[in-house]
Formats: sequence, structure tokens, C-alpha cells
Amino acid sequence: MHYSTLTRRYFAAAPGAGSLTGRGVATGIAGSREQGAWVQLQVRTEADGGGNLRVVEAGFLAFGCPHTIAAAAWLAEQATGRLLTADLPLPVEAIRQLFDAPVEKLGRLLVVEDAWRGVCAAAGV
Amino acid sequence: MSLPVYLDHASTTPVDPRVATEMAACLSLGGTFGNPSSDGHVYGERARECVEAARARVAAAVGAEPAEVIWTCGATEADNLAIFGLSAHAHGRGRHIVTARTEHKAVLDPCRELERRGWQVTYLQPDRRGLVDPARLAEALRADTVLVSLMHVNNETGVSQDIAAYAAVCERHGGARLHVDAAQSFGKCPLDFGASGADLMSLSAHKAYGPKGAGALLVSRRRGVRIEARQFGGGQERGLRSGTIATHQVVGMGAAFEIAAAEWQSECRRLAVLRERLWHGLESQGGVLRNGAAPDVVAQILNVSFEGVEGESLLAAVAPEVAVSRGSACASASGEASYVLRALGRDQRLAESSLRFSLGRFTTERDIERTVAAVGGALAHLRRIAGACTTAR
Repeated sequence: MHYSTLTRRYFAAAPGAGSLTGRGVATGIAGSREQGAWVQLQVRTEADGGGNLRVVEAGFLAFGCPHTIAAAAWLAEQATGRLLTADLPLPVEAIRQLFDAPVEKLGRLLVVEDAWRGVCAAAGV
Repeated sequence: MSLPVYLDHASTTPVDPRVATEMAACLSLGGTFGNPSSDGHVYGERARECVEAARARVAAAVGAEPAEVIWTCGATEADNLAIFGLSAHAHGRGRHIVTARTEHKAVLDPCRELERRGWQVTYLQPDRRGLVDPARLAEALRADTVLVSLMHVNNETGVSQDIAAYAAVCERHGGARLHVDAAQSFGKCPLDFGASGADLMSLSAHKAYGPKGAGALLVSRRRGVRIEARQFGGGQERGLRSGTIATHQVVGMGAAFEIAAAEWQSECRRLAVLRERLWHGLESQGGVLRNGAAPDVVAQILNVSFEGVEGESLLAAVAPEVAVSRGSACASASGEASYVLRALGRDQRLAESSLRFSLGRFTTERDIERTVAAVGGALAHLRRIAGACTTAR
């Protein structure tokens, strides 16, 4: 399997790997280890005074292929500092292209998206 | 940056420098580059002498007669020639074949093709150690069974089968010929075609420090085995495998087999020590399961399942430091687990998270130390990400 430089970088460094605890943490979980892809995304948010939630910290746990891990790490990194919205920073297909993942990996990247939706639902967004 | 440690010798081996030297002598104008089928000039005669000398070396290495060696381009072609060639010759007596679920695709796919042509195939289930019980084979044989195809050493687990026992079962049956895929066994364990009782045996050069693109099918003359050709156009190899013989390739195979026959025992003793050192190093990481174990497994192969990690990620994480294969028939994005490990009773998850470490002639203690460190680091990294050792931040 060929992996892009970006995939290899996020897979190896895995920035944001770990669990968040304490107040203001929303958690989304999707997939299963039995199916080969499981992702937990977490964000810690603070109200920005305008009725929005701003992500001050994000983390992830992931069991899956390098593309799954890289995409989850990238998403946690991208989310930090942004307002929490149901939309991903990029559509899933664009994320697939960003990491040069084969089309057959799209299903695994959708697990990452589902975890993100779970985060937003838990945060009431 | 140094290259990764190479522990994928069951996939292929580097050509031994001694072999490469002999091969090179066949290639250029000053060497034996002639067509071995050419009559009437010295170039062809010299090439033919080299081919026949190589045939004799291979035969001597595996306990066969030179006339029993049919050159092929590798073990896959040899398996195909054995299965289709025997079935074409024997279909008047029956149309039933017995093989095992853990065979190489080079045997399974021809069997499936014969099923599409109306043949019946029985796929034996090995036990949890990966061994096919000769009693199960005896039960599977029918009056119309014409062929049994069972491998000697499994390419994924390294488990070695008792081919003499299978031969005895076939002998008692009287009508079933025994084909043995020995691509992985030569140079790793004792191999004597004549004494084994096998009727047909497939060999590969590149698994034994010879070149890719060379192999052989042994067809027992003593046992009066007959097969039909699948390839036509020149009548080489007693009409069983037409096509110009690649002199340098078969010379390489002959040299490689001669060397392996002389050195395999000392090599196995050395590699068995390294393999156990590797196993103990991996085992100390925790959550590590061995697939197949001594005394059933050849010294060169260690197949291990790792708990708590995904297989593709594990392979990717160790790849910068160690070149190994997944214990999987299909490392594609489909995530299909190894059918061999599944047949041995490993669940889907563990079958997918398995690696095959295969040691070789040039593997060193330092290679093993580097491998243990790389796998240990990868496991810790992936298990941390997967939450096995959840980090609160």
C-alpha cells in the first residue's frame, strides 16, 4: 500500500492522540474494532459570548488503517481554535483526496465523519 | 537512511552472490548464451551442457533423477502443470481432487478452475496446529479420486506437513497421485523426492537464493507418472513444457540448490536460535500470539498475531525499519484476513493483525534486535492511539 507524505506524517506523529477529561468535553464515537475501523473524537469547548462554541482542545483515539488514523489526527488538529459546526473542515471526499487515499478507503473515512457528527450532537450543535 | 531489515524471505530471497556469478557467465558473448535447443554449433551445445548440468544439480539436491526434472518458470507454473496436466491425463478414471484449505493460491485457483469445468474438489481442514491429519485424507479419498495436492511447508505459517504419510495413504488407495508443492520447503527441511513417495513435486528457485523466473516440476519416472502438456511449441522438456529454456535461470537454480543442499542444516540451526530470540523479544511486548510452533514449523518462519492493533497500520508502522509481510493472503484495502490463519482457528481480527517474519541466510543478530525494537515501538504507538493505554490530557 502506498501512503502519501501527508498520511505518513499524521500517522506517525498522531497529534492529538489521547482522551480528554473534565468539564466542557463532548465525545463522538463511531465504527467498531470488529469492522476494522473505530474512532473516538473529543473536543473541549468554550462559549464565545455570541452563542457559539469554540473548540479550545481536540483529541482522538482510533483503531484502523493509517488513513483512518491520519484523518482523525488531522481533523482533531483542524478543529482546534474553530467554532464547532456540524460541517467538517472539508467534505469527506476532499479529505480522501487530501490524503491520496484509495476510493475503497472512503468507508473508513466516513467513520471519522460519523464520529465528528457524534461530537456535535453531544455538544448540542 | 539505512534500508529496513529484510525479514520477508518466504516471499523471495536475494540471489546468493555465488549463484549470481554462475548466472552472469551465461549471458554475454563470451558466455554460454546460446539456445540450448540449437544443434550444429558449439554455442547451443555448451548451453545444453549447462542446462543438463543444472538439471543434475537440482536432481541431486532433492533426491530425484535428472530425467524427472521439468523446468518451469516457477512454482506457480509447476503447480498448474501438475494439476491440469495430471487431470487431463487421468480424467477418464475419475474427476475428484483432494487438497487443503491452507494451500497456496497456485494450487487453490487451478482447483477452482477445475471445479468450474465439472470436477469435484474436497478441501481438507487442518487442525489448530495447521497440520492435515493423514486419517482425514484417507477418509476424503473416493473411488474416483485421481489427485491429491498438499503442500510440504505452508508459506504463511511455516508449518511442515508429513508428506510421506500422505504418500502412504495414496499408495493404499491405489488410484490417487500425490502432488506436493515444495516451493517453501527446499532448503528449510529435509526433502527427498524419491524417498517421499510423492508422484509430482513443485520447486521454486527464488525461495532458495536462486533467481526469480525459474522452477521445476518433478515427475516421478520410478512411479510411472504421466501428465499431459499444457504448453506447446517446440517440444522441449520431453514435450511437457515447450519454450526456449532460459539457460542462465536454470543454471542459477542449479547452483542455488547445490549450495542449499550443502548448507541448509547449519543454516537452520543458526536461524532457529535467531527466530526464538525474535519470538521472545516480541512476546515480551504483551498481547502477542504465535501461529504455529516448533517442532512443526521450519526455522525460518515466525507468524505472530498482535492484539489491540490493526494489521495494515502495524505493517505501515514497522515498514521504515523492517520489511515483513502480513500473515494475510490479501493485504489490500479490502482488509480480507488470511484464509490460512482463519482456517487454523484465528478469529478475523487476529488473523488481520498478523505478521509473518521470515529469516534468511543473511539475517544477523543485529537485525533481530532492530526488529524487536521497531515492532515494540509500533505496538506502543498504535495501542496508545487505539486507547488500549488511554492517556488523559
